[in-house]
Amino acid sequence: MIKFQGVNKWFKKLHVLNNIDLHVRQGEVVVVCGPSGSGKSTLIRTINQLEPIEQGSLVVDGMDLCHKKTDLNKLRAEVGFVFQQFNLYPHLSTLSNITLAPTKIRKTPKKEAEEQAMQLLERVGLANKRDAYPSQLSGGQQQRVAIARALAMKPRIMLFDEPTSALDPEMIGEVLAVMQDLAKSGMTMVCVTHEMGFAREVAHRVVFMDHGVILEEAHPEEFFRNPQHDRAKQFLKQLLSPMH
Amino acid sequence: MLTYQFDWSIVTSGKYFQWLVSGLMMTLQISTAGIVFSFLIGLLIAVMRMSHFKPVRWFAHAYLEFFRNTPLLVQLFFWYFGSYKILPAFINDWLNTTNFEFAAALVALTIYTSAFIAEDIRSGVLSIPKEQLEAARSAGFSYLRAMQYIILPQAVRITVPPLVNQFLNLAKNSSLAMTIGVAELTYQARQIESYSFKGFEAFSAATLVYLVLSIVITALIHQYNTRILNPHRA
Repeated sequence: MIKFQGVNKWFKKLHVLNNIDLHVRQGEVVVVCGPSGSGKSTLIRTINQLEPIEQGSLVVDGMDLCHKKTDLNKLRAEVGFVFQQFNLYPHLSTLSNITLAPTKIRKTPKKEAEEQAMQLLERVGLANKRDAYPSQLSGGQQQRVAIARALAMKPRIMLFDEPTSALDPEMIGEVLAVMQDLAKSGMTMVCVTHEMGFAREVAHRVVFMDHGVILEEAHPEEFFRNPQHDRAKQFLKQLLSPMH
Repeated sequence: MLTYQFDWSIVTSGKYFQWLVSGLMMTLQISTAGIVFSFLIGLLIAVMRMSHFKPVRWFAHAYLEFFRNTPLLVQLFFWYFGSYKILPAFINDWLNTTNFEFAAALVALTIYTSAFIAEDIRSGVLSIPKEQLEAARSAGFSYLRAMQYIILPQAVRITVPPLVNQFLNLAKNSSLAMTIGVAELTYQARQIESYSFKGFEAFSAATLVYLVLSIVITALIHQYNTRILNPHRA
């Protein structure tokens, strides 16, 4: 479904992605973690080409992203993206946030798009907020609407870029519940997150990155119990230490 | 000793009142058409100014600098006295049958004001967080569609106060059209003065009408902005 082969990317002199090889299969849930500045956000943003790559090959849903003739708008319509800061459209109501892309890009009739949007709002538990504007919603609610907005395009892949990092602690659970539900429904997902509980529960694989390199790739149980790389051990220790 | 005899009745009734009304109608026509066209052209130039295609960007930049940095009166004279000279005879024959004064005034006011509006809209667009464009692009919108549905609607809301200023300037600047013979409000006030020598009353009346016009434009846009564009912030 997503295949990185020898992918390299630089920001000026900074080597942000260093020879990345990664294969995500259909229906697989992959969690990417690592210290800040490790390149994990850049990695996930290359999958829908919010960040172009300089070297290597990247194929997503059968589309070769390095080929000049690939229609990026078509690719992006098939790949849902959820941002750390939600990025809802502030001038539109919850319902219009969700129906905008389906009606304008997929040409779904308005009524049908609204029915689908209401089903999605039910699914994320916000059916009563259909007419609210983003500024009237809490962070957790905004992020759930953002997930519904991405799902409204019926994407084949969902990408999450630190979806809970900007949330108050008591709102993280409601967003993770939606993501877990989605993972169990068989969606192909790549999530940049430090929510190790989520990783343990639903991820098929954990990818650990540092300095633009994938240092470790393992089943979550294995990764948490017995990390191989020193940098991963240190990272996990710091992540888990406040709990002890 | 004040020897001037005030006679306010001449501007509140009779022939001269009719002149003022017809002048106001002309001012309203030019201002309304000018506001609509200058907004649309300003929007277009603003988008062109931000294009990724260099020639388009340069054209928009040249347009802005040219029309912002030359006097409106000179532009008006150019359109009225200059522009038709390079046109073929048959077009000139046709122009003679039309209201060319009105057209020249409208073109001058529209183009001049659109340059300022384009800059206001551009600063509005630049103030929208870049994440909004990313969100739109990642949903599959092209750059232009993202502008149309997501960026410009937000930018225009932010731009409303400076836009009101530009619209007021346009309405007031329409008084310059009298210099090429458009029978708008100022032209009629001047006429009344010539015929009656009641300059104080004539220009006081014109001033009052411009003042009311400006206040009405401001109030209408304010209403539109709070009721329709930003209902959730009311």
